[in-house]
This record gives sequence, C-alpha cells and structure tokens, in this order.
Amino acid sequence: MLITTTVFLLLLGMIAGIALAIASRVFYVWEDPTVLEITDALPGANCGGCGYAGCSAAASAIAKGLAPCDMCVAGGFDVTQAIGEIMGQSVGEKEPELAMTTCNFGMNEADSIYSYNGASDCNAAVMLYGGSKLCPIGCIGLGSCVKVCQFGAVAIGDDMLPVFDPERCVACGACVEACPKDIISLTSATMRITSEYTSEECTAPCQRSCPTGIDIPGYIREVQNGNFEEGIRIIKEKCPLPLICGRICPAPCELSCRRNLVDDAVGINSLKRFLADYEMTTGKHVNPYKCIDSGHKTAVIGGGAEGLTAAYYLARLGHQPTIFEAKPKLGGILRYVISEDRIPQDVLDHEIEGILDMGVEARTSKTMGLDFTLGSLFDDGHDTIIMTTGGFDSRKILRPGGGIAAHVPNIFLMLDFLALESEGKPVAVGEHVVIVDSGKRALDVARSCRSLGAKKVSIVSNHGIDELPEELAERDTLSAEGIDVRSSTIIAALGGVSDNLTRAVFEECRPHDNEPVQSETIEVDTIIVASGRLPELVFTSVANEDQSDSDQKACSWQTVDIFRTLPRGGDNGVFSAPEKGRVSDSSAVVKSIMSGRRIVRGIQMCFSGEPITPVAHLAEETSDILNVTRVEHVDVSLRQRAPIRVAEAGSENNWGDAQAIPGLDEPASRLEAERCLACGLICYKKAM
Amino acid sequence: MEYVIIVIGAVLIKNILLAEYLGCCPFMGTSKKMNTAVGMGLAVIFVLTAATAVTYPIHHHIFTRFGLEYLQTITFILVIAALVQFVEMFLKKAIPALYQSLGIFLPLITTNCAVLGVAILCIRRDYSFVESIVFAFSSAAGFTLALVLLAGIRERLIIADVPKPLQGTAIGLITGGLMALAFFGFSGVDGSLNALVQQ
Repeated sequence: MLITTTVFLLLLGMIAGIALAIASRVFYVWEDPTVLEITDALPGANCGGCGYAGCSAAASAIAKGLAPCDMCVAGGFDVTQAIGEIMGQSVGEKEPELAMTTCNFGMNEADSIYSYNGASDCNAAVMLYGGSKLCPIGCIGLGSCVKVCQFGAVAIGDDMLPVFDPERCVACGACVEACPKDIISLTSATMRITSEYTSEECTAPCQRSCPTGIDIPGYIREVQNGNFEEGIRIIKEKCPLPLICGRICPAPCELSCRRNLVDDAVGINSLKRFLADYEMTTGKHVNPYKCIDSGHKTAVIGGGAEGLTAAYYLARLGHQPTIFEAKPKLGGILRYVISEDRIPQDVLDHEIEGILDMGVEARTSKTMGLDFTLGSLFDDGHDTIIMTTGGFDSRKILRPGGGIAAHVPNIFLMLDFLALESEGKPVAVGEHVVIVDSGKRALDVARSCRSLGAKKVSIVSNHGIDELPEELAERDTLSAEGIDVRSSTIIAALGGVSDNLTRAVFEECRPHDNEPVQSETIEVDTIIVASGRLPELVFTSVANEDQSDSDQKACSWQTVDIFRTLPRGGDNGVFSAPEKGRVSDSSAVVKSIMSGRRIVRGIQMCFSGEPITPVAHLAEETSDILNVTRVEHVDVSLRQRAPIRVAEAGSENNWGDAQAIPGLDEPASRLEAERCLACGLICYKKAM
Repeated sequence: MEYVIIVIGAVLIKNILLAEYLGCCPFMGTSKKMNTAVGMGLAVIFVLTAATAVTYPIHHHIFTRFGLEYLQTITFILVIAALVQFVEMFLKKAIPALYQSLGIFLPLITTNCAVLGVAILCIRRDYSFVESIVFAFSSAAGFTLALVLLAGIRERLIIADVPKPLQGTAIGLITGGLMALAFFGFSGVDGSLNALVQQ
C-alpha cells in the first residue's frame, strides 16, 4: 500500500508538473517587462486617483506612453522618480495638492432645519431635504470622506468637520468624489493664487468685498492662534503687498464686516498691518510655496503696484518675470506719489525686497520705446509681455523727451496724433489705419489719415449704428471716400511681427448683450485710439507657420485678451473703456493688486494651454449669495484702536513725522482678532 | 426532472455556503463589494465545473479500477491545484478579457474547500457524469447567489449604525448566519418535489 501510494502520487505529481511546464510554454504570453517593473514601483493602493482602474492598468498606460510618469498621485515624488528611471525620462517635481473644505461651522454650531438620526452617512443624510443644515453647502459631518480615504488622511474632528492631514493626503480626489455637498476640493498653490471666489462656495462678506480676495477670516484665525507667519502666508496667496495695503488700503472689507450690525467693524486692515509689521520686524521674508520653473520667461512693463503684483505671482508660478521700470526705483505711484507719511520709504523698500526675493528680476531706468521695444523683448527670449503701466498716464512714458515713441508698435493716441498734426509734424501712418472712436472727430482724423497716404481707414466703435453721430452713420458715402465704419465692433486682439503691427481681430457683437457673433482678422498697420491710457495689454509670442526663411528671427506676437477670464471684463476688447482701465481703475492700491493677480491668472491659463474662460459664478456684489441681515447672540466689544500720537505742545509740525500713524501692538491685535465672527455665508460665531 | 431537483437542491436547499458551510473564507473576504462578489462568484462557477469534470473520471476510471479510493482527498487537492494553474495560463493566452476579470480570483480558489467538497460530494452521492456537472454548476451558482446577496447587504451595512464591537467581519458573520436561517426555510422542498415527481 505504501509503495502504491508513493508511486501513484509521485507519478501524479510528475504528470501534473510536466503538463504545467508544457502548458507554460504553449500558453506563454509575452509581457512587457517595463509594465511589471512599473507595477512594482507603484504603491499598489489601487486608489484610482490617476483615473485608471488600478495600478497595473496605470502601469501599462505609462509603459505605452499614454500617461505621464508623474501620474501617480498617491506615490509622491519618489514613485515618480522610480518610474522616470524605468522609462528613462527625466521627471520634474510636481506641485503638491491637498484636499480642503471651506466649511467652518460643524453640525453642533450651525443652524439646522431638523435633527437627523438616520444612517450615519452623508450620502444618506442628503436624501432628506439635502441634509439637516440650513446652509445648503454646509458640511454634514457624517464622514463619507473619511470612509473613502484609503490613506487615512481625513478624520472628523471634535467640531464635526473633516480635518485633512497634509502629511498623508495624496490628493487622489476620492473624498472630492464622495462628498455629496461638493465642498471638498483639491487645491494647490497655483489654484489658490489664480482662483476667484464663486457664489457657490462659502465666503465671508469681507472676503467677497476684498478686491484681491484675501482669505480674511483665515488670517484673523492665525492671529488668534498666534501663528503670525502662517497668517502672512495666507495674505500672500492673494496680496503680495501687505505692508502697503495695511497702511493705505481703503478697506472695503471693513464696510461689509458683519460686526457692523452689532457695534463696529473688526479692524481687518489693522490686523493685516500688524502681521505685515511683524514680518518686517523679524527682518526676513515669509516666502510661500514657489512652483518649479516652467521654462517661460515673462516681461512686466511697469514697476508699480500692479506690475509688482503680477511679477510676484508670475515668479511664484515659475514663469521667471523681469520688471522693466522707467523710473530709477521700483514702486510707481506708491513711491513717487503717495506721501511718505503714509508709506515710509523703508517700508516700501522692505516690501519690494520681498517681491524681488521671490525670484523677480528688475531693470530700472529702462523706458519702453527708448531702451527696449516689444520686438527686442521677444528677441531676448520673453514669451509674454505684460503692460502694467496702469496708474501713470501712458503718454508720459510715451513722450519722455517730447518726441513720439510708440511703446506699443504703431498704436497712437488720438490726442498725440492731433497735437503732432497741428504742430505740422504729422505721424507717419501706414496703408490701413484703424481708428477706435465713436465721435465725430474720428471722421476728421480718418480724412487726415487718407490725405497722409492711408489707402484704407476703418472706424471701429462698440456702439450700435443708431448711437453713432449722423455723419458716421452714412456708411455708403463714407465707403466711397475709402472710410469703412464698423459699429457694434470691438478689437478683440492685435498681432504683429517684431516691432510692427500687422493685424487686428475685429469682433462684431450683438448690440444688446455684447455676445460676439462674427470675427474677422484684418491686416492693419496703424491704430489710433481715441483716448486714455493703454495699460494691461498682454502680448505673447506665437509660432508662425507661414514665415519665409529670411525673417525667421523676427518674432511674431499677438495680444491675449486675458480679461475674458472675467465676466464683463473682456466684452469690449483690447481698447475698452481705456480711461477707466479694464480691470483696475487704479483708484486704490488694492485694485491694482487685484488686476495684477488677475492678469497672472489669464497668463497661467494661456501657458497651460487652456482656453481662457470666465470664472463661472464669480462672486460679485450683484450675485445672489446667501447672507444675513441681523445677528443675534453677539456680545458688544469695542474695537481696538492704535493710540493717536498727539503732537507735543509748541511743536511746529502738527502732522507728526513719517512714522506718526502707528499700528496695533500684539496684545491689542489678539484682542481685535477675537472680535472676528469668523463668518460663513450664514454662520457666525455666537456667544454661548 | 431529476436535474431540476438537483439544481434546486444545490442552489437553495443544500446551499454550499449556507447549509454545507463550505468556502466560508471567500464568503467573508470577497463580500464587501458587489463587483468583487460577482467576479468571485463567476470564477467559482468556472473552476468548480471544470474541477468536477476532471475529478469524476479520475475517480471512476482510475481509483475504482485500482482500488485507490483512499487517495481521493490528497489526489483531488493536487489535481484541482494543477487544473487552476493550467486554466489560468490558458485564459491568459486564449481569452485575455476573461483573464482580466477573473485573474485575481483564480489563485484564491486553488485550495478552496468548496471546490474540493463538491468534487467529493459528487462521488459520495453516486451521481452520473452529467449529474455531477449539473450539481457542480448549480452548487457554484448557489455559492454565487449567497455571496452576491451578502455583498448587497454588506454594502448597506456600511451606512448602518452598527455597535462598535460588531462592526466589520463580526456583523458580516451574523448576517451570514441570519441568511443561513432564512435559507433553512427551503428545507423539505426537495422532499415534496420528489414526491411530486413520483406521483
């Protein structure tokens, strides 16, 4: 029996072994060894954060070249590097992303419409009237996000709100998918810099009324906690000039502060100034996260508040900015116009130093049109040129020595054109002149252009034909004169080669809502604009296909209507409302900062190849946003004010010295920060 | 008609999971998600049927002829393991799509007691070859049914308010037990069906 058993099992084992050996040959399937290697390198969490069904599917996609080496969100940079080595590709560090929610009041603090005792899951809870919170976008706190997180990065804290562990979060997006309220989002520094508040997220009244959109409750919370550096970091996500803003901002945020309903607004700006002064007294600059170099080079014309802001954020996004400033020092109006009582020179210098510290290069005493031109900047390798000459009248820069120097190639102001004509030194116009104006004078200018040799003159107006003066409305007689009148038309873009303007894109709009209906590219060599400044133009270089070999070096460029990113902003094209400026009217430094940052948003979209689209549901004064008009259970507490320094008797200078306007000290700031109601849409901190 | 009785008996009355208590490991392990449960169920159907088709001739043509019945268990284990390996290779080559969906479950079943149990039950009950295949297939179908039902319940259990000590596998086992109790309601149905057939 023993022998039979042994022999039988041996035989069976051998047969099975041989059969399997043969089968493994017969059914051999060649597998890409790199796929296996990549699969081993991947973390194997099968989280699906990359969009592929599990790690092995992702590995084969990477091996086939369908997916980039850095697609694994869970593994981090080490995994990316390992995959890069397998694939023989060099990898760059990816910008870290984090999951975040904006809800600040948990179930136990926020107002609710009923008490919920059902299944302990957010998706179940929202089935009943969208959850028990009064606020439609409030966190229900039942932790659906916690359950889906494979990395243990989310937990529901004591306040019934999710807490994200930045150390563990890999930004796979599982919680974003799971949240039925859509209040979790992945954020990165780029997103925080380029984002605007929407009417669909939780914002405090002060946040919405801040032109730059600083997370005001955020930094006030950090003042309460004593994390002053973190507070500075929060401010610098949206405003790189806290020292300046802290001193001269008109603080529209304080006007809309909800505490006004009880006693007096929170000293939002005083707290900003406290944080900024704190940073200055430490003597070093708090520099938030900076992205790796994108390989783009940008030029910023004008070193005022707008230019400094744009350059700062371009530097943070890795686009290597260089500021060109006509004056010997940076600062623009901040330095040369605003009195030193309000902005002491050392404060301004420290602020500008902080911006340069971020990786901004500055060339001062360089005037556009004299020391450099659009063409020379493109030749020097700049991809994009931004004009932030907002505050000053551009013509002052245009005609430094009295002579005309068009800083934007072949674009003249009508005033200069007429002035030079009356001096008997008319501007040399090209063959096709475009005049942007709606008045009768446009016709005079058009006729003089014709007499100066222009073959064709177009008058472009964004007004409807009925709104134009009678003389201009007679199109047929004018076209016989070689003058083409276009109503309800804007110039959407300009294009050119080196220092020459070559084309313009005319966009005809529907009169009632300004929606573009038709666009046409027209060869143009001179543009005469009726009035105002020409700030906030953005030029990018384009690869031109139809270029002959001879002028391959000449760089072709076009303007980008980055203000398309804002509703109402881009409707009127490149030359809309020049007197007001298209985004900023430069009436306050905070508005210049806003437009500087918004320009960067457009450029970022441009560089990343996205179409430039407006912010959907941008939170504006006119948007329909939940709010409260009455607050209850808030104790009155007096606003902390800095002691006013009274001039000594007999002093000659009653206005005090440059440092006469002091800020709050630390204890006062902390007390003031405690006054903040930490508002959300409808929530606010109530006295228990 | 006998086949119908075999099928009903194997799926509902003597369900391999809920009445025979075979293969409880994947019953708990792969019932957390519906997708996994379905995949596992299909893999079990596939392997169980194939294993019975192989072990039946081994028993009837080798063991009975040479009087080696005492080697049944160990031989079946070996044969089933080899078979699963073979099937895995074959699928990878011939039907990659099926391999993709069943691939990770196949090795799990290699030494599964449900597979061995059904192969042995076929022999014990003296089924013919066709009856064995039908029995194996329907046992596996019963396995899949129980697995899918439990997965459905467990997906709901996730959002239920379960007392802390019972969360996870504990409540899964209790649920499995309650399901088994419910399935005992079918006992006797085979007797009635037999009587019906004999009439």
